[in-house]
Amino acid sequence: MKTEIIKWTFRLLPALALLAAASIALATDAGGPGYSYGGTAGKSGNCLDCHGNAKGIGDRYFIDPVKYGHTSHARIGCPACHDTVGRGHPGDQLVPAKTGCLECHGDKAAEYARTPHAANASCGDCHDPHRVNAPNEISGQEMNRMCASCHKKESMAAKHARWLPQADLHLDMLPCTTCHTGSKNYVINLYIIKREGDRRKGVFRVADFAELEKIAAGKDIRSIIDRNGDNYISLAELGLFNRNPAYGHLRLQGVLTPETVTHNFEILQNRWDCTFCHASGPGAMQTSFIALPEKSGAFRRVAVEKGAVLDTLNGPPDFYLTGASRNGTLNNIGLAIIAGGMVMPVGHGFLRFLTRKNRKGKEHQS
Amino acid sequence: MSEQKMIYLQPTPVRIWHWLNALGIVTLCLTGAQIRFPEYLSMFGSYKTAILLHNTAGIVVAVSFSLWFFYYKLIANTLLKLYVPNREELQHGLLRQAFFYFFRYFRGDPSPHHATPDNKFNPMQKSAYLAIMFVLMPLVSLTGILLMNVTPMRELVILSGGLKFLVTGHFLLASSLCAFLFTHVYLATLGHSPMAHIKPMWTGWEEAEEHVEVKEQDRN
Ligand code: HEC
Ligand code: HEC
Ligand code: HEC
Ligand code: HEC
Ligand code: HEC
Ligand code: HEC
Ligand code: HEC
Ligand code: HEM
Repeated sequence: MKTEIIKWTFRLLPALALLAAASIALATDAGGPGYSYGGTAGKSGNCLDCHGNAKGIGDRYFIDPVKYGHTSHARIGCPACHDTVGRGHPGDQLVPAKTGCLECHGDKAAEYARTPHAANASCGDCHDPHRVNAPNEISGQEMNRMCASCHKKESMAAKHARWLPQADLHLDMLPCTTCHTGSKNYVINLYIIKREGDRRKGVFRVADFAELEKIAAGKDIRSIIDRNGDNYISLAELGLFNRNPAYGHLRLQGVLTPETVTHNFEILQNRWDCTFCHASGPGAMQTSFIALPEKSGAFRRVAVEKGAVLDTLNGPPDFYLTGASRNGTLNNIGLAIIAGGMVMPVGHGFLRFLTRKNRKGKEHQS
Repeated sequence: MSEQKMIYLQPTPVRIWHWLNALGIVTLCLTGAQIRFPEYLSMFGSYKTAILLHNTAGIVVAVSFSLWFFYYKLIANTLLKLYVPNREELQHGLLRQAFFYFFRYFRGDPSPHHATPDNKFNPMQKSAYLAIMFVLMPLVSLTGILLMNVTPMRELVILSGGLKFLVTGHFLLASSLCAFLFTHVYLATLGHSPMAHIKPMWTGWEEAEEHVEVKEQDRN
């Protein structure tokens, strides 16, 4: 018994240090606007003493305090879902209850239950309640990881390639949900991608918080693009970022993302039709955001000037959706070039017609 | 009808290449237009059909362009002689030919240039074909091939300035080719009779003198 207590004291020491750090971090956003559940302080704290310490508790029971701290679930606290944690926990042999998602997300659950996919995967197969994100703060890549545990990337690329040209490109630039759930609006999220290890030949990956923090050199990472700090990216700022030689290893990757995510994971017939995306009309492709990573792994979006994706000079150089993101000025230049080609047939042809008599004689002369 | 001297101007491989290319480029112009303006154009049915047709025609034209190049360079070895204008042609020939097209032609004078197998093109044709075949075609093919394989060729796409730059280039080059097409077809009708230059491209033979009516049996 005594050794047991010593063992736990040792385990708790680092946890306490971590808790101190976490509570300082959390205190900064506790009481922020929009949270009707109040702050997180004290709600999950004592549980995280043990469960927030990876070394002490082991992978199986570890809850990442940074990722958890960011979720709405942190604001309702552990006991809201595990309401039967015994006083003697963890030594009491009682298994704490785990409230199902249904209790609080009845609408989502009902929506999902109506779809055939409900037989294939349950909430927990896609979501970890301790690290959930809202749809607008999760990267497309992360969203696809939810699906990839069952739908492997390679087999998906092969299956979609049967009807979709450049399926690899599409699956990289579109979350599965863009095609397999309904949404009214779609936006373009621009992620900063970076060559692995800063090497010239490294593959590009979405840059994480630590990497960008290093580049921002002590300032908010937003300052990498948002130079004047007004929490808004103008076309000029975007252009400066794209052309900055110091950022040669950074690029912007555009991902067409649904504004809202419904839970009807199914095959939508209109996604067969390429013009669903490739000709979305003049109003589309206007809204875009720079999605910046946060410490918690979530993303915060910073609005970009309207129509930035269409801009030839300042827009992101790697995003182009044929048929949808064409540039109006270039259309006119192209048209002018073609019209130039007509000058000869029309102008010369007219004179030729007027002077046809001159040649008629000569052609039959001999 | 006086005696007519026929010369064999266009060898068979060149003719096959030319009409394949012509069909290909017209297809590329039309499908390309639908790809860029799908809200307004849908002559090939679905967007996907246009893309697949464009990609197929693109490969055909790119391959046929390479064949053309190798034929003239390696087999016939007349590439430079035929397509690169010499000093004289640049200094005087161009002007002379332009003067013909824009003035003397209307008076009914004959062309100052006489096509021979070794010297098929007049100085204006030479300069135009030089630009088309050595600049426009290779560039439009290369940008097109990159656009067709964005993910596998990502590094090249980045190296060449990004996807947007490539598409912009592809589009402007394509517009130029399309403009050239109109001029090219029109100029081809400026022989002593409208079909005089077009027929040899089909049969291979051109009438050396310019006073003979076009006869149906000359074809083939
Ligand atoms: C003293 C450290 C400690 C504290 C504090 C603690 N836990 Fe645990 N918890 C454990 C350990 C160790 C386990 C591993 C399984 C076991 O031994 O029951 C565990 C297991 C669990 C499980 C999983 C049970 C199962 O087998 O599926 C849940 C749920 C849980 N704890 C919730 C909580 C909640 C909620 C709190 C806060 C009210 C909390 N714990 C506080 C140490 C702790
Ligand atoms: C929104 C509800 C909810 C909240 C809040 C919540 N949990 Fe859980 N927790 C669950 C559910 C549901 C499971 C079961 C997951 C499963 O079976 O995959 C679970 C499982 C666990 C487990 C078992 C390990 C595992 O992943 O299966 C532990 C340990 C745990 N929770 C600890 C905590 C702690 C500590 C907190 C607070 C910091 C917390 N939970 C907050 C819903 C919640
Ligand atoms: C005790 C109530 C409760 C339970 C149980 C619960 N949630 Fe939540 N959940 C909330 C609240 C409150 C929010 C924040 C407001 C909202 O989005 O509805 C939330 C938000 C979310 C979000 C959006 C992410 C965010 O941070 O805003 C997801 C995803 C989510 N829950 C998934 C789940 C899943 C999956 C389960 C089951 C494992 C679950 N929830 C169980 C209360 C609950
Ligand atoms: C096939 C995977 C999958 C399943 C199964 C699934 N979800 Fe989701 N869910 C997602 C994705 C993808 C999102 C959007 C990204 C995000 O917010 O994590 C999402 C988002 C959510 C959100 C946030 C929505 C919002 O608009 O704020 C809630 C809440 C949620 N899911 C609850 C549930 C519940 C409850 C279940 C079980 C009935 C469930 N999910 C089952 C994939 C799934
Ligand atoms: C727990 C495993 C699992 C996860 C996670 C999962 N699925 Fe599925 N899904 C299945 C199974 C099993 C099927 C049925 C077999 C098949 O078609 O591959 C299926 C089928 C589908 C289908 C075909 C439906 C139809 O009508 O034929 C779509 C579309 C789909 N899933 C999309 C998604 C998306 C999008 C995600 C991620 C947000 C996802 N799935 C996550 C297991 C899963
Ligand atoms: C461009 C839109 C699009 C994207 C992006 C997309 N899908 Fe699909 N997917 C479709 C369409 C359309 C079908 C129906 C075609 C078919 O049945 O072969 C389909 C079919 C499927 C199927 C059933 C295939 C079968 O043959 O069983 C699954 C599973 C699926 N998708 C999962 C995914 C996953 C996972 C992702 C993300 C990695 C994804 N899809 C991305 C449009 C898309
Ligand atoms: C859900 C939206 C969506 C659908 C549906 C869709 N695409 Fe795409 N397509 C994209 C995105 C996003 C890209 C990548 C743009 C980028 O990263 O530059 C893309 C890229 C392409 C490209 C590469 C050239 C380019 O524009 O960069 C081709 C070719 C293409 N799509 C053809 C098709 C065809 C053919 C279909 C129908 C069978 C189709 N797409 C359906 C969204 C879609
Ligand atoms: C010769 C080889 C060519 C290849 C390999 C090629 C390939 C491509 C590819 C891959 C695309 C992107 C859409 C798609 O995947 O189909 C594209 C777009 C386009 N192509 Fe081509 N192409 C070629 C030549 C041409 C020519 C000769 C023209 C016209 C004269 C043309 C006009 C266009 C246009 C207008 C677009 C739309 C670009 C946009 O959205 O702005 N292409 N081409």
